[in-house]
Amino acid sequence: MASVTRAQGVAQSTGTPSRGDARRQSILVGTAWRWVVLIVAGVYFLIPLWSALRFAGIKSFGSVISEDGFTSSLDLSVRLAVVTTVITIALMLPTTVYVHLRLPKLRRLMEGITILPIVIPPVVLIVGVLQLAPGSLKSTPYLLALIYVVLAMPFAYRAIDAGLRALDLKTIVEAAGSLGAGWINTLWRVVLPNLRTAVLSAVVLTVALVLGEYTMASLALFQTFPVWIYVNSQTSGQVSVAASLLALFVTWLFLMAITVIGTRQSRKTGGGTVTLFTVARQETRGN
Amino acid sequence: MTADITGNTTSNAAADGTRQVTGSGGTSVVLQNLSRSFGATRALDGLSIEMAPGELVALLGPSGCGKTTALRIVAGFETADSGSVLVDGKDISSVPAARRDMGMVFQSYSLFPNMSAQDNVGFGLRMRKVGTSVRRTKATELLEMVGLAPQAKQFPHQLSGGQQQRVALARALAIEPRVLLLDEPLSALDAKVRLQLREQIRTLQQRLGTTTLFVTHDQEEALSMADRVGVMSNGQLEQIAAPDELYDHPATAFVAEFVGVMNRLPGELQSGGTVTALDAAVPVMNQGADVGPGPVDVLVRPEGLTMAVIENGNGIVTTRTFLGSVTRVGVLLSGDVTVQIDKPSSEAAALAPGTSVHVALPTDPVLVAPRK
Repeated sequence: MASVTRAQGVAQSTGTPSRGDARRQSILVGTAWRWVVLIVAGVYFLIPLWSALRFAGIKSFGSVISEDGFTSSLDLSVRLAVVTTVITIALMLPTTVYVHLRLPKLRRLMEGITILPIVIPPVVLIVGVLQLAPGSLKSTPYLLALIYVVLAMPFAYRAIDAGLRALDLKTIVEAAGSLGAGWINTLWRVVLPNLRTAVLSAVVLTVALVLGEYTMASLALFQTFPVWIYVNSQTSGQVSVAASLLALFVTWLFLMAITVIGTRQSRKTGGGTVTLFTVARQETRGN
Repeated sequence: MTADITGNTTSNAAADGTRQVTGSGGTSVVLQNLSRSFGATRALDGLSIEMAPGELVALLGPSGCGKTTALRIVAGFETADSGSVLVDGKDISSVPAARRDMGMVFQSYSLFPNMSAQDNVGFGLRMRKVGTSVRRTKATELLEMVGLAPQAKQFPHQLSGGQQQRVALARALAIEPRVLLLDEPLSALDAKVRLQLREQIRTLQQRLGTTTLFVTHDQEEALSMADRVGVMSNGQLEQIAAPDELYDHPATAFVAEFVGVMNRLPGELQSGGTVTALDAAVPVMNQGADVGPGPVDVLVRPEGLTMAVIENGNGIVTTRTFLGSVTRVGVLLSGDVTVQIDKPSSEAAALAPGTSVHVALPTDPVLVAPRK
């Protein structure tokens, strides 16, 4: 009781002038915290990269390209990325649009279903697929593309879903309809152009996923780029680390480019900054 | 119910010539006995309306009364469970929305965000395979018509809400639609812009003679723009009539109270077709309605009641609201009933709150409704 009174006394005696100071102090503490978090996270991510760079040395970057198996494995990975992306977008775009327009109640279910590939461990998936897939499919690396489509589903769905949510889809589809546009024209000229950034995000995520997937490719015995990096690391560790750093850098550049281009495009038509999962809703200012 | 409908609205409408149907060669539209249910809710229950060529009909009603459903059925975005829509005598129920040739303006901003104003306006023509140069010319013409030629190259997000709706109107008109459908196009806009756009839409519609169905919940909008106003409630048409007719001779108590301001006074319905209230007996307008002899409410407009300053009268002035040319005076009657009475503002000076007045019914027939 006594302590409470004393505390009140103190609060009263300092009174109004201290309130501004207190706020300033809390802002300072907040800013400081932000920096601490940023630095800790930065150190956590950068130390491994820095060590890898130290280990590989500048010279090994030069010899990456001439390394045995580099070209063929990269070629396979790129081809898989292209096939996977095409199938994923062709499947997910119309499906997601349809769900938004006609079955909005199923959106929750869709979210649940599309999260499954993340929940189920890749090993389980690939073992199941290898058990069931016909021999003719097992002998072609494009089997991987089919599996990657499933793996990419959560990312592609979320990216496209975010894009659709930023649009008043029902109204613009009906407006297009009343102006005489059939389904194909509506999708091609009205819906798709407004989903450009969302589709771009889906593409980036899918490509990044395919270029980095190791477990399935290695269990299915195909030498994709990540598999090659691992295999090669047994014989020439430095080159393999250089290759993976290179891959990381190129992917990062790719992501940055998409974000910048996407944002520019989106600003032109009134959208906000593009990040991979959210597209800011279009705003109308004033009347 | 908004309180700013006065006698002026009707006289304005008449002065504009809104009752004359202009434009020949327009399209006639007939809604025949339309019904539509969503689950257990009956959104439309046997709605029938006949629209003359070039006519602007407003559907007015509270939200959920079925007016938007009716419009969407005409547009082809919904299908009726029963009934049909005839355009120039032909049943279009099986024609898909894209081939109905109907221009539509939506409540929410519906411009395509990826296209400039000009491309938005030209979109319908593009779908009709009209060449680029013709399309441009036509789009420019229409943007000029709605006063937005300088904004032709701008994207929707660079336009204000009012400008966007004007582009949407130009876009809907670009296809030279047989019927223009307006789904509360003004309700997202602020009052001033709404007023301007209201006049612009009406002027354009009359000039082009396009048969127009206009859905709104704003009575002022409906009364000031439409040739005829259909008041809807619970999926049914309560009354469809010219604005002044609707205001002066409402067919039902619902219409009377939904359109304009209405006073309710306790009265006693006599068997001879008269009602007694405020110590007077007046004839009843809606005889044979669903009200039997006994206690009823008498419905009278604020301008229908008369009032004179008198000592120990039957009412006391409680409020006084200046509305421009008229002043609305609130009077407390015995039995805790408050009525609103309109007086020319020049006469309202003597009616300070606290003044004792005598309030009397008009001698004209009045509407009665079951006691609330």
